[in-house]
Amino acid sequence: MKMKKKNKAKAVIQSIATDLLFWIYIFGCLYYLMHKWTGFTAKLHLIGIAALLATLIFQLVRGSIGVKIFLSYAKVKRSFYKSAWGYLTIIALLITFVVGVNIVEVDFYKFFTKFQNAGGIASGIFNPSITGYSLSATSINELEKENLPPDVLSTLEGIQNRKYSTKKVFLEYLQKRLGESTLQKYRSTILKSAEKNTELLNIALSALAETIFLALLATVFAIPFAFVLSFFAARNLMPRTWLGNIVYLLVRTVATIFRSIEAIVWAIIFSVWVGIGPFAGMLALMIHSIAALTKLYSEQIENIDSGPVEAIKATGASTLQTWIYAVIPQIISPYLAFTIYRWDINVRMATIVGFVGGGGIGLLILQQQQLLRWHNVGLLIWLIAFVVWVMDMTSARVREKLGGM
Amino acid sequence: MKNIIKLTEVHKIYESGTHALKGVNLEVQEGEFLILLGLSGSGKSTLLRCMNRLIEPTSGEIEIDDENVITAKGKRLRKIRRHIGMIFQQFNLIKNMSALTNVLSGKLGYVSLWHAITFSIHKTDIALAMSNLQRVGLEQFAKNKARNLSGGQQQRVAIARALMQNPRVIFADEPVASLDPATADSVMKYLGELNKNDNITILCSLHFLSLARKYGTRVVALKDGNIVFDGTPNEIDEKKFKDIYGEDAEEVEIR
Ligand SMILES: Nc1ncnc2c1ncn2[C@@H]1O[C@H](COP(=O)(O)OP(=O)(O)O)[C@@H](O)[C@H]1O
Ligand SMILES: [Mg+2]
Repeated sequence: MKMKKKNKAKAVIQSIATDLLFWIYIFGCLYYLMHKWTGFTAKLHLIGIAALLATLIFQLVRGSIGVKIFLSYAKVKRSFYKSAWGYLTIIALLITFVVGVNIVEVDFYKFFTKFQNAGGIASGIFNPSITGYSLSATSINELEKENLPPDVLSTLEGIQNRKYSTKKVFLEYLQKRLGESTLQKYRSTILKSAEKNTELLNIALSALAETIFLALLATVFAIPFAFVLSFFAARNLMPRTWLGNIVYLLVRTVATIFRSIEAIVWAIIFSVWVGIGPFAGMLALMIHSIAALTKLYSEQIENIDSGPVEAIKATGASTLQTWIYAVIPQIISPYLAFTIYRWDINVRMATIVGFVGGGGIGLLILQQQQLLRWHNVGLLIWLIAFVVWVMDMTSARVREKLGGM
Repeated sequence: MKNIIKLTEVHKIYESGTHALKGVNLEVQEGEFLILLGLSGSGKSTLLRCMNRLIEPTSGEIEIDDENVITAKGKRLRKIRRHIGMIFQQFNLIKNMSALTNVLSGKLGYVSLWHAITFSIHKTDIALAMSNLQRVGLEQFAKNKARNLSGGQQQRVAIARALMQNPRVIFADEPVASLDPATADSVMKYLGELNKNDNITILCSLHFLSLARKYGTRVVALKDGNIVFDGTPNEIDEKKFKDIYGEDAEEVEIR
């Protein structure tokens, strides 16, 4: 009987708290909109007072959302007031939508009319720079023997050693300088002597290797930490003594916190700590992977069959022996599957992490984008897409073989 | 004959509040084949697991082979456990390991941690494991993964694993409940043989009076955590059986 009273009191408090939060939110949203549209200002505590009043009224008519959720057993006859919670919910959703559109600055006009702003990157993607073009000193020497008109030759000498990311870009530039008819006349001569290079491709591939290895190392270094930690984060392995509980809670909590901090934030931290470059990126991904794998691994442990554990314990094996013989054999193949999946994720994240100083191909994209070299950016995007596609496929295959996930 | 097991006023109250054992007193002589009967939920598993402290009894005294089980901790508890073999209804083998490795794991109570970590196994242990597999008629399955063996074969591997411990006592918790009648009988036959030839004391929970009569030397019945019958298998007539299992229990007996 006593128990019931306590529960009721708890439900009433929960119900009032829910309503109060609800009304603070509603009046807060309304205030935001009024302020934005009419410049109206008011003391903020008025919101609190209004919310309190509204809570009081709707609690009294027993039609509020809090009453519906926590005190639904107090069902009385249906009436308009009692179903107010339904209208309130709809109004709240509408207000949320309006506020959301305002905050995000949704602008469909821009979306449909300003596509040309993205033209550079679009043409870059359709025409990625695989070979770059330039006129080196040797090219100019050759061209000098070719009986070109002096003004054409001097224009060409003027752009000696300048690099163009594709043939198309090179020719477009020449056309602008020489005029269409002149260019047509000497086009093949110039192209014959022009020097092609795969400089960017080389740089891109090495940056890509950096990204893949960075992701690999982050995963490999994370494994032993996560492996050990996962045992301490598994409820069924930790004894229910105070020490066991503390260790379990501590490992769980720290892992959860570290996991909820995005890898990109870790990358910012580490790029300040150890300097911009792949090492910072690796540390960021490693920290995040340790936390994520600890969670996945420990859940795997919690799902094992406890029978063999009991059987091994009964033979007189020590705790550690029990883990080695009864727990590990049950988790080894799901662990492998999770780890490969993690590597897959890490390769993707490694490109993102590169943007904020984590090195690899992400950093290269950032640099090329800042120089507005869209054709170079195009090449990098294709390379990343290819690698992610290959990783995705192989990891899915391997995981299927392992029978996990 | 000596008393190998002695339980005095053993109680077990689970955290949930279930009073599963209500003051069990039991003495078992060396060499007995004791059958535990009782409805499911009567406390058979709890009793067997309290005796090797897989479950902590709430109060009472337990002595096995002159060792005080209740006060034992750490190394001493492990030493007590390694002379107690245990057989389970679900076999509880490590499914993705070979039959041989499963049998070898029975020796874990004897080896040092270092040997366990490095998986370094003595040649004599392998020979012993093979001969134990041979005893249960499975030497040709030594390299097979446990998951690929039939239920009866898995239970025989579990018996070989228990033998590896060089046990004085074997607790078998419904060892044949997941097997068909013919297989069940063959598994019981191996237990009976260990009891007779190796003088291993056996406590085995069952639901079949026919098997109890065939292999048991003594029957103890539990009901709601109390011992309600203690005698020879032949002393159980229809009325006693119904006392233990309830009015509509005849069918259970047939097997
Ligand atoms: N881990 C546990 N936690 C709480 N109650 C349990 C637990 N294991 C068994 N019980 C309860 O203890 C009683 C005896 O169970 P058990 O020993 O498994 O009986 P039996 O093996 O004879 O079927 C049952 O009422 C059961 O619900
Ligand atoms: Mg049971």
